[in-house]
Amino acid sequence: MLRATREEQQVQTTKRSWNIVVFSVGGLKLAARIEDVGEVLPWAATIPIPSRTPFVQAMLKRDNCVMPVYDLAARLRRLVQGNPLLCLVARHVDGPMAICIDADVPTIAKADAASIRPSFERDIESLGSVTIGGNDVTIVALQRLGSAIQDTLTRYEL
Amino acid sequence: MLVGTASFLVVRLGLSYLALPATGVRGILTQEAIDHEQAVTEAGIVYQPVDLAERLSVSADLSGTDRKTVLYSNGRSHGAIRVEQVVGLIDVERKDCFPLPLQFQRDERCWFGGMMFYQDQLALILNPSWALGELADAATVLIGKAKQTVEATPAAIGGSC
Repeated sequence: MLRATREEQQVQTTKRSWNIVVFSVGGLKLAARIEDVGEVLPWAATIPIPSRTPFVQAMLKRDNCVMPVYDLAARLRRLVQGNPLLCLVARHVDGPMAICIDADVPTIAKADAASIRPSFERDIESLGSVTIGGNDVTIVALQRLGSAIQDTLTRYEL
Repeated sequence: MLVGTASFLVVRLGLSYLALPATGVRGILTQEAIDHEQAVTEAGIVYQPVDLAERLSVSADLSGTDRKTVLYSNGRSHGAIRVEQVVGLIDVERKDCFPLPLQFQRDERCWFGGMMFYQDQLALILNPSWALGELADAATVLIGKAKQTVEATPAAIGGSC
């Protein structure tokens, strides 16, 4: 049996723990895998877009680029808090997507993979939950945010 | 019109800027010229009233002094489209038109063929067939197929017009 090289050992170590970004929406602590977060920026005015996609009704313009806005606060029935608000750019499977989050600057934490529990949070796409500072924090599956509600609507219509 | 460009009439409804392919524009009427609830007959063609604000669920003030009615035709259907303001006529290089992001997954994929910038504003390119009532909102058809549809069109590789 071959011994793992140092690089392989590092990969295995990485897989045993997740780097997560902890942020808040309307005071609710949430987390996301760091690789699912593009960047965090100051929030900017949005452009309303006529749309029937739930929670996707606006775009955010930065320079000459636009990206859709996902209204996570509305989905969670919360109001974002603080000033200035921040924009978390999610690496969604369909392309970058802006999410307005509270003014609290997100922090980076490391979660042991073994400590991540299945999440029974039905309101949002999640990868599980983890305890941070004594609180149960849902790890949001930013890559597929919105897919569950879309699937539900499709099933309803069919 | 130059090769590689497309012409649009940009109009405003509430906070939304909409771009109509200019080839279908048959005329623009001022508020005094018509009764907005009635069909308009011009050169023997009857243009049925189109309430885009209502169809797009957009809040618009159609009582203002800048309101206009755009007579629009695709050769098969003819509509008198009420707008809050006619902003301007522009030529856009096709490479500067881009598709609606895939996160928009429902009826709006039928409403808009893409988008572009106009004077620092984002203008949504209206699908004339839908605007003229030829297409029903085809959300259920589009859901789940949106990705394949967009990937299969030139829009995805630059240019939605």
